[in-house]
Amino acid sequence: MIKVNNLHFGYGKNQPLFKNISFQLDAGHIYGLLGKNGAGKSSLLKNLAGLVYAQQGTLDVFGFDPAKRQPAMLEQICFIPEEFYLPAVKIDAYVKANAPFYKKFNHDYFTNLIQEFDIPVSQKLINMSYGQKKKVIIAFALATQAKLIIMDEPTNGLDIPSKAQFRKIMASALTDECCIIISTHQVRDLDNLIDSVIMLDENDIALQASVDEITEKLTFKKVKAVDDSIIYAEPSLSGYYAVMPNYHQEESKLDLELLFNAILTEKTKFKPYFN
Amino acid sequence: MSNLFNLNRFGLLVKRQWMDFGKIYLGTVIVLAGIIFAFYSYFTPSSTDHNIFDHEGNLDMRFRYGLFLILGFLFISITSSTYFTNLGQKSRVMHELMIPASTFEKFIVSIFYTVMVTVLGYLLVFYLIDLGFVKYLNANLNTFKSAETLKTPIKAVDCLFDQVISDKKYLKYCSAFFAFPFLITSIFLLGSIYFNRFHYIKTAVSVIIFTYAVGYLIYKTCDLLTRNMTQINIHFNEKNVLLWIFLVSATITVALWFITYIRLKEKEA
Amino acid sequence: MEFRDNKAIYLQIADYVCEHILLEKWKAEEKIPSVREMAVELEVNPNTIMRTYDLLQTKNIISNKRGIGFFVAEKAVDQVKDFRKTHFIADELPVLFRNIYLLNISFDELQRKYENFIKENFNA
Repeated sequence: MIKVNNLHFGYGKNQPLFKNISFQLDAGHIYGLLGKNGAGKSSLLKNLAGLVYAQQGTLDVFGFDPAKRQPAMLEQICFIPEEFYLPAVKIDAYVKANAPFYKKFNHDYFTNLIQEFDIPVSQKLINMSYGQKKKVIIAFALATQAKLIIMDEPTNGLDIPSKAQFRKIMASALTDECCIIISTHQVRDLDNLIDSVIMLDENDIALQASVDEITEKLTFKKVKAVDDSIIYAEPSLSGYYAVMPNYHQEESKLDLELLFNAILTEKTKFKPYFN
Repeated sequence: MSNLFNLNRFGLLVKRQWMDFGKIYLGTVIVLAGIIFAFYSYFTPSSTDHNIFDHEGNLDMRFRYGLFLILGFLFISITSSTYFTNLGQKSRVMHELMIPASTFEKFIVSIFYTVMVTVLGYLLVFYLIDLGFVKYLNANLNTFKSAETLKTPIKAVDCLFDQVISDKKYLKYCSAFFAFPFLITSIFLLGSIYFNRFHYIKTAVSVIIFTYAVGYLIYKTCDLLTRNMTQINIHFNEKNVLLWIFLVSATITVALWFITYIRLKEKEA
Repeated sequence: MEFRDNKAIYLQIADYVCEHILLEKWKAEEKIPSVREMAVELEVNPNTIMRTYDLLQTKNIISNKRGIGFFVAEKAVDQVKDFRKTHFIADELPVLFRNIYLLNISFDELQRKYENFIKENFNA
């Protein structure tokens, strides 16, 4: 659904953020975009939405060049940024002004989501808390039934019950026609929702693989001592959390945080497993 | 559906922008009406005042010209310079750019608001208040007669715009400056997308510096070219000069709009 | 449902479904929650649930009636026991054997303990 070829991007000529990266995203998946601060997660998302312009390379977002910002493409994309603003109007006025731009906007679904998120309908958007505002724009985005849903740190600012609601809603929102891409630091909030991982590091994609592929090739487990078979380990109270090649076809649970640290420190050792 | 321009989307966009721009605009219009009203109340002649006639013996309403020009400049420049302020705010720019309408539609809506709504709105508000005072004065002309010693009957007062339209001489000069309000809005509209903060001040300072620089350059080049030459007098045709004023200001306006469109197209979040 | 750290999520969900079948919360030939309902309940990616249901289908524990949904298979309880037994022998027994060997526990002792346990817990 989305194809990126040889993308070069940076702010200014001498500060490249991406050098020649290529990848593909398919419908029916929730992608988790991970990377250190400043690795370019938000910038990559903005490239997909046509909010910034690539220096070189091509982007194909369901047949459109995002840089052209054509309405037919824009109505199929919803972007939930980390920083956002909502005007001093009530929810219905906001929906009335913005929803008609999205042909597939589902008003009933929106009402359901607002109810599920427990958002006071009579309050002006501008007076709501950050978490409430965020839930409003998440609800709006999902109700547009866009093909591509981009979320930049969606769980930031959500309280504990809202995070659970968010996970439930995302689990129900994924269809075969849409592609959801979520950038996050809060890996624990989302690790059972994500089915594919993209990791950014050092101007490049350090890893792109589905969770199934990762757990097929690697195994994550607690061990008493570190030996040669272990690629990366972190000390814990009772031994180590370790990543090692999956010699015995074990079916372990992916530990995203451990994998993230492992890839960042031992990038070259992981290369052969994912090519 | 066309990806360049679609009337339905244009309508939706006009409605949507009103949510943002409309509030500021309506607030400014109320302040504007208050100011015009205050000036009229203070300067309109009343039967108890002295020196209430101009040199032609009409009731002195000459304050209107200055008021109209100065307020007009302030109003249209201030409202135009607020139009694209959202694009300078990090929290809003992404949403604005991602609204499913073409860049061209977004641009046309900006022109619609800064030209149609702002300029025409100003003319309308000014006209209505002017009309009110003129009607009031004309209804009470005889109170002036008794207060003054003049025998001749006092002529009825004209509306400001009637004066311009009905008097051929006025019209000839005024029409040369027809593009000026649009030039002003186009400058400040461009300023509102070009600068991220303090749009008004920055635009005003840029215009002053630019005009000064151009003026200085023209003066210097003319000075260089004509050094050691004798002066001859060329008689400009007045009509041509007026036409040129109109054409040049209109061309600059269109050029500035074009730059604004390009700027909007290139805007990144 | 609380997920544990060490086992793939889709297998933990398979256990969850099996548990429901063994405890007869879901009886034979009854409809079980759809992929989406299950995903929402467990806050898990629907693709993961799909993988679980695929696995359970190949083990003949559930069956897919096209267009209607997933149903508990007729002999699901036996199938679950079978599935669990294979799993126990393959994965858990070796660990047990290792401890029995290392701690030097005799079979006699083991048998007594086992019989006691059954008496106390299942009144058999």
